[in-house]
Amino acid sequence: MRTTIFRVAATLWANRKARAGLSILFVFAAVAVLAPLLAPYSPTATNFARSAPASWSHPLGTTGSGQDALSQLLYGTRISLFVGFGAGLAATIVAMLVGVVAGYARGPIEVILGFATNLFLVIPGLPLMIVLAAYLPTRGVGTILVVVSVTGWAWGARVLRSQTATLAAREFVAAARLAGEGIWRIVWHEIVPNMVSLLAASFFGASTAAVLAEAGLEFLGLGNPSTISWGTMLFWAQNSNALLTGQWALLVAPGLCIALLASAMSLVNFGIDAIGNPRLRER
Amino acid sequence: MDTRPPSQSEHAPLLTASGLEVLYEPAGGPPVHAVRGVDISIGQGQLVGLVGESGCGKSTLGYALARLLRPPARIAAGTVVFDSTDITNLDRKSLRGIRHNGLAVVLQSGMNALNPVRRVRGHFHDVLGAQQRLHAAEVDNTAETLLSQVELAPSVLDRYPHELSGGMRQRVAIALALALKPRLVVFDEPTTALDVIVQRAIMDTIARLQAEVGFTALIISHDLGLVLGATDQVWVMYAGRIVERRDSPALATGPLHPYSAALLACQGDPTAEKVELGGIPGSPPDLSKPPEGCAFAPRCWLSGPPCKEEPHEKLVGTGSVTCHMAPTKLEVPKLIRRVDGPSEPIPDSGHGAKVPTTASAAVAKGRGRHRDATTAEPLALIDVTKDFKTKRAAPSEGVQAQGLVQAVAGVSLRLEAGQAMGLVGGSGSGKTTLGRMIVGLERPSSGSITLGNLRVDKLRTRDLPRYWRRVQMVFQDPYAGLNPLHSVGYTVGRAIRNHQGLKGDDYRRELLRLFDTVGLAPPEHYAAKLPHQLSGGQRQRVVIARALAAKPQVLVADEPVSMLDVSLRAEILHLLGELRKNTGASLLYITHDLLSARLVTDQLVVLRQGHIVESGPTSSVLRSPSHPYTVELIAAIPTVQQSQTVPAGAITERPGEPV
Ligand SMILES: Nc1ncnc2c1ncn2[C@@H]1O[C@H](COP(=O)(O)OP(=O)(O)O)[C@@H](O)[C@H]1O
Ligand code: SF4
Ligand SMILES: [Mg+2]
Repeated sequence: MRTTIFRVAATLWANRKARAGLSILFVFAAVAVLAPLLAPYSPTATNFARSAPASWSHPLGTTGSGQDALSQLLYGTRISLFVGFGAGLAATIVAMLVGVVAGYARGPIEVILGFATNLFLVIPGLPLMIVLAAYLPTRGVGTILVVVSVTGWAWGARVLRSQTATLAAREFVAAARLAGEGIWRIVWHEIVPNMVSLLAASFFGASTAAVLAEAGLEFLGLGNPSTISWGTMLFWAQNSNALLTGQWALLVAPGLCIALLASAMSLVNFGIDAIGNPRLRER
Repeated sequence: MDTRPPSQSEHAPLLTASGLEVLYEPAGGPPVHAVRGVDISIGQGQLVGLVGESGCGKSTLGYALARLLRPPARIAAGTVVFDSTDITNLDRKSLRGIRHNGLAVVLQSGMNALNPVRRVRGHFHDVLGAQQRLHAAEVDNTAETLLSQVELAPSVLDRYPHELSGGMRQRVAIALALALKPRLVVFDEPTTALDVIVQRAIMDTIARLQAEVGFTALIISHDLGLVLGATDQVWVMYAGRIVERRDSPALATGPLHPYSAALLACQGDPTAEKVELGGIPGSPPDLSKPPEGCAFAPRCWLSGPPCKEEPHEKLVGTGSVTCHMAPTKLEVPKLIRRVDGPSEPIPDSGHGAKVPTTASAAVAKGRGRHRDATTAEPLALIDVTKDFKTKRAAPSEGVQAQGLVQAVAGVSLRLEAGQAMGLVGGSGSGKTTLGRMIVGLERPSSGSITLGNLRVDKLRTRDLPRYWRRVQMVFQDPYAGLNPLHSVGYTVGRAIRNHQGLKGDDYRRELLRLFDTVGLAPPEHYAAKLPHQLSGGQRQRVVIARALAAKPQVLVADEPVSMLDVSLRAEILHLLGELRKNTGASLLYITHDLLSARLVTDQLVVLRQGHIVESGPTSSVLRSPSHPYTVELIAAIPTVQQSQTVPAGAITERPGEPV
């Protein structure tokens, strides 16, 4: 399994698009980690002029409540990455469990899991998130993470399920049964390691969706508005009519970051596709 | 390389290549020198065969001649002249000109390259519409004519590729290639993966078309027997070179190069009183490190001191041979022999025979230890049937009314303890389904399967692993049968742990013993390999080792050699025969290849559309078949006139060589 992961990583790095995506992700990660060093001020300090335009001391201006926008943007990277990758990971784990079991099992389990997957696929995601987020008792990053994971696993589960079914029909799986392997061993040692690139694709796909969903929910005011994140920056910018005061940077900067992060993840996914589908493999 | 006049006298050459060299230059790997100086020419209207094992560069040469090479491959040196035009360096646009009325290729597995979501009609529209600007009605007309030439009904135009059998798809691929009225057609492995009867029918179609339509053809195959019967001339290719180039009848009766002779010895007539089969131990060299001297030397039983030098081409009649020793008397060592009566693998001959010695010794050791009181028991099938539900009726297979396919229709048979039984039939005859039911991977729809007193068809899923200590299966496809991510030692080792419960040193010893038994020596070296680092034949040995890890009483082998080059057939069959003799296991050998059935089985059952049509002792069924289907199966085997006439010239024989 570990060697497979290394192999996939090496192949990814060899692909132009994936390399671009991974480089951008790396920069974002570095910013998230180094935010305290990079940010000129504390993101929560409110002792600046309110709604100030861009200047040397505040390159992106200040918010309606007098905070430095650049510092907020840099710190905001943390939440986006955390929710993006956290929810992506959680959704992928759920997708893997559901998909692999549904793809390998026969009988009622297969039917029930298949039904659940299809149900979550047909329910429109955003309304479900809004309903969930509105009714959950607490508000905050944790809630958003749960909401995004719950709504984000179904696509991956369906893909992994059909791949599992394909692999389960391969001769080496029948051969492993004849060699006396038990069901869990077959699943974990024979089937799952052959799906690493799909799992990675599922992960980056879910993470992209999570980044967008997190920003969306906070923009709609369904998060905790005092968190520092790109979504809440947009929420406050909208609330304080930033465009009317000519502070377009307050809207554009977080928006661009969200778009860039989501694109980077998609680029990685293009690379993974190219590995799985030799027709797309670039030279 | 000296240049020489074209050797075809009555045919004006249509295509000539001289000094042709092809390199693959993959991004992350060493360059592969796949074609190393080839001089050939094909006369107008000739049918030429190109044979050799996988990896000898046949496809590469075929593609180079048709200018169809894609990067990372490129023609590194030499010229290709088609119809007096040098096409070696033609650009794309001018190449498109010669595609029409010029060169066409039927790709290896081209039949699987048809677009699955497009009907056959659409494929013809793509080819004809784009190239010739014909109207839809004209295209349909032309397409129907082309289909009738390959013996398909016009209704096929409205089918999707997956609704056609393998043979029908191959015919469609051929019709598509002929659509632009090419003058030279390259067929790359046109019949590989098809069963004998379909193979024969496709070859007949190609030969008939060639005579009627009058194109020139190059047929690439790893099966010399198949090609010899159908062609005028054969080129034998080894390690990127043409080592022998002869008229087909001359090659059939007197091969001059040891490699050709060895390939020929892989052929045999299963209906003869005495059947012998040779093989070619080892495998072709890695062309990223082209060998010094004669490339065949490591596998050649005649090699001597001169072979350290690269041999030169010698002209012989209308052909040529590239070997220091030629012409000489070529007696190919045989690996396996069968005369009427009980089986008789050839005793250890020292020629590629690490297998028998180690096998016998090692297996004999294991036998005393493990083959205990549970004596072998007979396997009995009574009136077994198996129905499969189909979503959509597939043509040409026993389709019944409500979308039910009866794969096996009332089969009764009895495999006595220690017996070897062959189960033969074409594709779709239900062989594999029957085998899978016997090992418990599939449950019969009705009827009973018993091993001794055990009702196999009634076993619960959790009792199956215990059953698999007694009955094991060797899978058909050595590529799909091994998990690509595990070392082969792990794969075999898991079976040892599960079935024998061994740990520590005992485990390790048993693992090495099994590798040794199947002829993978030194075992430590092979156990650490990943499947893709092994050749097809070596993988199949691993698959056999895994089956043996359970020390089964019954071994079901499903076409264990059909995916391998014919040159490996004898070795694997020899191994199976040895193992059976040494372990006392009974063998159910499933195949469409009558020759291999003759070599390893005592009893033969002929299956057709799920029914047994004939059964009896193998040699009598094959030598005096009574059912028309058996007769048809036998007739489909390419026959090679193998009178071993000694070619003129010095006859040298190295002393002490095996017979
Ligand atoms: N795309 C490729 N890149 C690198 N090497 C290749 C490629 N395709 C084929 N080869 C190598 O070229 C040699 C000849 O291959 P091929 O022409 O397919 O032989 P054959 O048709 O006789 O089986 C082999 O050593 C093979 O591994
Ligand atoms: S005899 Fe020598 S030159 Fe001829 S094939 Fe054998 S090794 Fe090569
Ligand atoms: Mg080939």
